[in-house]
Amino acid sequence: MWKYVVGFVIVAVLAVWLLSKGGDVDMSGEKHSVETAPAATAASAPASAASH
Amino acid sequence: MATASAAGTPMTPEEKKVIFASSLGTVFEWYDFYLYGTLAVIIGNQFFSALDPASRTIFSLLAFAAGFIVRPFGALVFGRLGDMIGRKYTFLVTILIMGLSTFIVGLLPSYASIGIAAPVILIGLRMLQGLALGGEYGGAATYVAEHAPQGKRGLFTSWIQTTATLGLFLSLIVILGTRTAIGEAAFADWGWRVPFLVSVILLGISVWIRLSMNESPAFKKMKEEGKTSKAPLTESFGQWKNLKIVILALVGLTMGQAVVWYTGQFYALFFLTGALKVDGATANIMIAISLIIGTPFFIIFGSLSDKIGRKPIIMAGCLVAALTYFPLFKALTEAANPDLAKAQANSKVTVTADPAECSFQFNPTGTSKFTSSCDIAKQVLSAGSVSYENAVGTGPAKITIGDKVIESYSSTGLPADEVKKKDAAFKGAVSAALKEHGYPSKADPAKMNKPMIVAILTLLVIYVTMVYGPIAAMLVEMFPTRIRYTSMSLPYHIGNGWFGGLLPATGLAIVAQTGNMYNGLWYPIIFAAITFVVGMLFVKETKDVDIYGKD
Repeated sequence: MWKYVVGFVIVAVLAVWLLSKGGDVDMSGEKHSVETAPAATAASAPASAASH
Repeated sequence: MATASAAGTPMTPEEKKVIFASSLGTVFEWYDFYLYGTLAVIIGNQFFSALDPASRTIFSLLAFAAGFIVRPFGALVFGRLGDMIGRKYTFLVTILIMGLSTFIVGLLPSYASIGIAAPVILIGLRMLQGLALGGEYGGAATYVAEHAPQGKRGLFTSWIQTTATLGLFLSLIVILGTRTAIGEAAFADWGWRVPFLVSVILLGISVWIRLSMNESPAFKKMKEEGKTSKAPLTESFGQWKNLKIVILALVGLTMGQAVVWYTGQFYALFFLTGALKVDGATANIMIAISLIIGTPFFIIFGSLSDKIGRKPIIMAGCLVAALTYFPLFKALTEAANPDLAKAQANSKVTVTADPAECSFQFNPTGTSKFTSSCDIAKQVLSAGSVSYENAVGTGPAKITIGDKVIESYSSTGLPADEVKKKDAAFKGAVSAALKEHGYPSKADPAKMNKPMIVAILTLLVIYVTMVYGPIAAMLVEMFPTRIRYTSMSLPYHIGNGWFGGLLPATGLAIVAQTGNMYNGLWYPIIFAAITFVVGMLFVKETKDVDIYGKD
């Protein structure tokens, strides 16, 4: 399993490095609403659910 | 029965291949899960922005159904197939449907090219994907467990859980890598397709490996002896003897596991960025670091569950979560945004409103509009992470901040431009008053105690690993081979999909309703506590169960 561990570490380090280069992305998982650009999502629509 | 070696010996190459092949499918599943989150707005712009509000509502409901209804239905469809025809065949079908659905999204023309057909096909693909996904986890857990030696099922199946982190990181690499390489504008235009198209590599590897796998030895023997179930659904859910175990698996295990998981990974992130105003990039890095530190604990607790039992670890995870969420999230506030903690302690804010005007702002599909003066006032305060008290009054709702009283407005029936004007004026007045009373508009990076934040987040992830690490082995051990796939898939997907999936929307609605930004935590606390009580009283330890005993 050491290969898996090494692979995981490489993937993790690469992901964190990319995040540190400008990683303001949504990591909160799948959305179940049909979102559009932020301007179109009115203040009257609180966070929709995510599921897995 | 299992072909695996006896407990205490290292894994054989065949066993490693079984785990790898099974985990690839769940990596895929998680990769998709994050794509549909990270790219949600871009996908929305490409496929849904030209729709009228009524059509958008319908598509939102369909997208919601793809996650919340189709997935448990998929658990039934593919669970049944897995119990009747075989694990290997079903496994191949689920990964093919899931993988091809994802890949085709990358090729799908947008609304601008083919009109209404684009969102219809997209939703259709998400439905297919949800259906296949419903059968994936149960298949992976069953297949791995049926290859694992007695005394090592916890360890073997816990590898599957690590794929959640791996799927997140892979999605980040592909998305951020593509975005960095081609630039923001090109990514929003066509680059978003790359992560979907790239998934075909993962699909190819998965199918190739799965084709070379053997059928689960337990199922193969059962099939050769003609003992497979002819009606797995009836046997699983139509007979009280098994149905009660399915219900116990849901209420006494997966329900609590799901809310602890969602709180540790998603609600914590939402709390950091939404409530504590930590900028997204910083919060993401801290979450990622906590996941890296916490992920090995899936294996540690999976392995430990082979020694001391599944039940004590899962129950302890639910209990400590329920007991410590409030202090941990309060400590998170102190560490991430001490100015906010200070302002909350020093400045009293009150919303005075007619209770008839105040709704419970539960909006899981994102389609509801809350337009009363009370709802608008509470939304603005919740968005500013302001804890407030509620008082009964008449007329339009009012917010009192120190000595300032600000009257809210109702947007019902008003034209859009007037709503915009009133909204800007109201928000401006509230934010000026909040600023005056020490409420920060965002967390000050210089005052953040980052090691402490990462430590708290890691602890939350460790709770997740306690409840999630041993869960697959436990679910597998609760049911006999002939109906295992069907019986374990449904409680898993209902637990995680419904109880976990509704956590963000419910938590937010509770916060808006009660005025306390920590009150959303009552949702996971209550469900984790129910699981603890029901689990302790009624769920039996399974680690020593001979999973072939009833075959």
